[in-house]
Amino acid sequence: MNALLTKEEIALARHCLAFAQAEGAQKVRITLSKTLLNLIGVLNGEVDKTSHALDRSLQLQLFVDGRFGTFSSNKLDREGLEAFIRDAIGTVRMLEADSFRNLPAPERLAKDAVDGRELDLYDESVESLTAEQRRELALGSCFWGHGEKRLIAEEGEYSDSVFDSLTLDSQGLFARHTETSFEIGYESTVEDAEGNHFSSYWWDASPRLKELSLNGCAETACQRAVAQIGPESVPSGKYTLVVDSECAAKLLTPVLNALGGYSLQQKNSFLAESLGKKLFPENLTIMDQPRTKGDTGCRLFDSEGVATREMPVIEKGVVKTYFLNTYISNKMGLKPTIEDATRIKVQPTGGCITREDVLRKAGSGILVTGFNGDNSNPATGNFSYGIEGFHFKDGKIVHPVREMLITGSFLDLWNKLLAVADDARPCLSKLIPTLAFKDVDFSS
Amino acid sequence: MIHPKAYYFNTFQVDQAILDRLVEEGLRSGGSYCDLFFENTAYGNLLLRDGAVSSGGSHVDYGIGVRVLSGEKTGYAYSESTAWADMCECARAAAQIADKPVEVSPFGSRNPSRGEPNPSADRYPEKEPWLGVPMSSFLPFLQKLEADIKRRDSRIVKVIVNLAFQVSDILMYNSSRELKWDTRPMGSVAVTAIFQQGDKIENKSTSRSFRCGAEMLSEDLIADMAADVVKGIDARFEARRPKGGQMPVVMGAGASGILLHEAMGHAFEADFNRKGTSIFADKMGRQICPKGINILDDGTLPGNRGSLNFDDEGIPGQKTYMVEDGVLTSYLHDRISAAHYGVKPTGNGRRESFRYAPIPRMRATYMESGTAKADDLIGSVQKGIYVDEFSNGQVQIGEGDFTFYVKAGWLIEDGRLTMPVKDINIIGNGPAALADMQGVADDLIVDPGAWTCGKEQSVPVSCGIPTVLIGKLTVGGE
Repeated sequence: MNALLTKEEIALARHCLAFAQAEGAQKVRITLSKTLLNLIGVLNGEVDKTSHALDRSLQLQLFVDGRFGTFSSNKLDREGLEAFIRDAIGTVRMLEADSFRNLPAPERLAKDAVDGRELDLYDESVESLTAEQRRELALGSCFWGHGEKRLIAEEGEYSDSVFDSLTLDSQGLFARHTETSFEIGYESTVEDAEGNHFSSYWWDASPRLKELSLNGCAETACQRAVAQIGPESVPSGKYTLVVDSECAAKLLTPVLNALGGYSLQQKNSFLAESLGKKLFPENLTIMDQPRTKGDTGCRLFDSEGVATREMPVIEKGVVKTYFLNTYISNKMGLKPTIEDATRIKVQPTGGCITREDVLRKAGSGILVTGFNGDNSNPATGNFSYGIEGFHFKDGKIVHPVREMLITGSFLDLWNKLLAVADDARPCLSKLIPTLAFKDVDFSS
Repeated sequence: MIHPKAYYFNTFQVDQAILDRLVEEGLRSGGSYCDLFFENTAYGNLLLRDGAVSSGGSHVDYGIGVRVLSGEKTGYAYSESTAWADMCECARAAAQIADKPVEVSPFGSRNPSRGEPNPSADRYPEKEPWLGVPMSSFLPFLQKLEADIKRRDSRIVKVIVNLAFQVSDILMYNSSRELKWDTRPMGSVAVTAIFQQGDKIENKSTSRSFRCGAEMLSEDLIADMAADVVKGIDARFEARRPKGGQMPVVMGAGASGILLHEAMGHAFEADFNRKGTSIFADKMGRQICPKGINILDDGTLPGNRGSLNFDDEGIPGQKTYMVEDGVLTSYLHDRISAAHYGVKPTGNGRRESFRYAPIPRMRATYMESGTAKADDLIGSVQKGIYVDEFSNGQVQIGEGDFTFYVKAGWLIEDGRLTMPVKDINIIGNGPAALADMQGVADDLIVDPGAWTCGKEQSVPVSCGIPTVLIGKLTVGGE
């Protein structure tokens, strides 16, 4: 494997660690990372832009005399970094002491992330891709000029990247993660007979090029845009809400955030003091599965180097986990877990596999295929989102809807969970399938 | 502060000959235009949480971006090193966008602006520098601000204060031999307070952000932010959600400018129009809102978060009227879109950092004051809502549909503010909302908050508006 981080750069990171200790930091954590990106942009069937980038960063977390600071630089010359570290230690000494800051206990650290390849997330084919091949990959996915007269603009991007990172600390942590990512995405705008515009997108991503669904990406984006032509209004009221897996994360991410240590410790969470309580319905189980080989987004360790593990987040409606790093767990007097959710999977329920199964089970209501606005209150759990989607009756889509809003509170919403399908797209970092909820407030 | 040219050449270890050679490399494959963007940004931050300033840090971001244009096509590459070999590789990568010579350069070579930046015209001088002084000198500001906030309301259980500052040294050069340099400071203070009343929790946030030096950390700012973060908390605890549906909306002066940003500003950015996706793509020169309304995007406000001496293509900062007397008169242009439309660039070519190619972006977007009185606009509404505190917004460019989240406002009944409301979304259509503006008050406020626009890249902006009445928008509710 032709990894991005060189032996010289790894040696430099080790030197910085030793140098910081020699200059007075009692404990140190260093993360060295590099990303190589190649991108081809396409506009209306022609290459519109190309981009080539190599990013690198060295981040230091310094524990000095009971104080703590975070620093980073992308100027990786040895002399400059030594001066930077000296200044950084001086800055940390000016801060107020914080006894809760510490490195994780050594037994919690990952010991199985040695060469970065353990999760099979690196595809060597990225090393031999030429500029011409990348152009072909980008242009080969176009739908422009294929006879859809309503299509007025089509913009797309193909990209591939290599990410290589190494985390070291002063108690012997050595944790490396290497992955490739191949992505294709298109946005299409169509025009109806009255001159109204409708746009939509489609995309795919994979750690392996051969598993990237290139064909049909732009065509799907165009079809999704065309499907929105002719929206009709639906009166305000309570409807069954079905949320397409493509956008269902919008309803779960605030729940995961509310279980995050910083929100909980700062009392800025509607799930404060929820651990062990049954606040969600019996039919909701959410797992974190961070160590599934080959799966997008999986990691063997978090940003502190703590080993990830499979665990329930919510099990049969009971809150089983807070996301607590070393600092927050010390502050809250709780056992540390992991810094954040990694590879979330919502378990299917209600006997549905596909979106069509869910629509049939729901009968009538509103199918949401996209959200407009990212609006919720973390302290109260109240939300209000603009939506786009379709009115469905008897399990079948009737017509598109537009300029509608859903409003509610997350706890109330999740307690109206009707069904969870089994159709989450593997390219998503969170495996959240199509969801259905009863009696949701819609405004139009 | 704008330094002498030598300061920037020294920072990036270049000279005029190196710049010329690098541009030549960029054009070697036949590109029609090449520009270089050098950046050295130093960041600092301090965080007060749980009563102590116990977290902070500093960060350095340094590099060069090379853009090569072939017609309207863009090749872009960047390097985090300004060693000749690295910059040269970067220029050659960007040059690959072109595969044959393009004879005519449409990108600004007709009237190149070769004058040097004028330090006396600097829109954001630092009276007290952020860098070169111990960060400990900023600690008392955070501590005093926390104390002042806590003093004002006994229901406060947590206060978080975040101070972030940055200073960017920028050097720009292009194949029209235009050489510009700039130093851009930015200071931002953000406060969140958590209030507890019985078993109810509410949060309130406020922020201030300016292009200026550390002189912004004043006693006046402490008093201003402390008052702002506790203002209206009683109403917040009492607030309910209104019954949803379509209704008149009075948008309070200041932060309601997010309406202009989301509903109109993005649709006026010329790249969306050049590509044909914007709902305003064929509306130039047409009446799009009532007479008397003027909407502009301004890069010239001293110390404003969105202001620029030069944009990120080296075009002088300027004030651009997009709507005059209700007529759409200009899009917001970078060099590419300006060449496409045959007009002058408007100084809106902006980028997040050297890692990004510039694209048309807003600066400070606002509507000029009208002649009505705010109280009269509220008084004219039978049943609707008044809104003045927002968290964010979003727009779908093609459709023109926008949404923004109202943190706080009031129900209007029979011309009076009767019941506080909170946590509601408002959704509408940009062209329809513009056409439906039924009154503009005489109280323009440009909001001083830390607004950031996230179109592909994050750039600092600001927004403002006088109190306006819109006849009909969809309000989320129960």
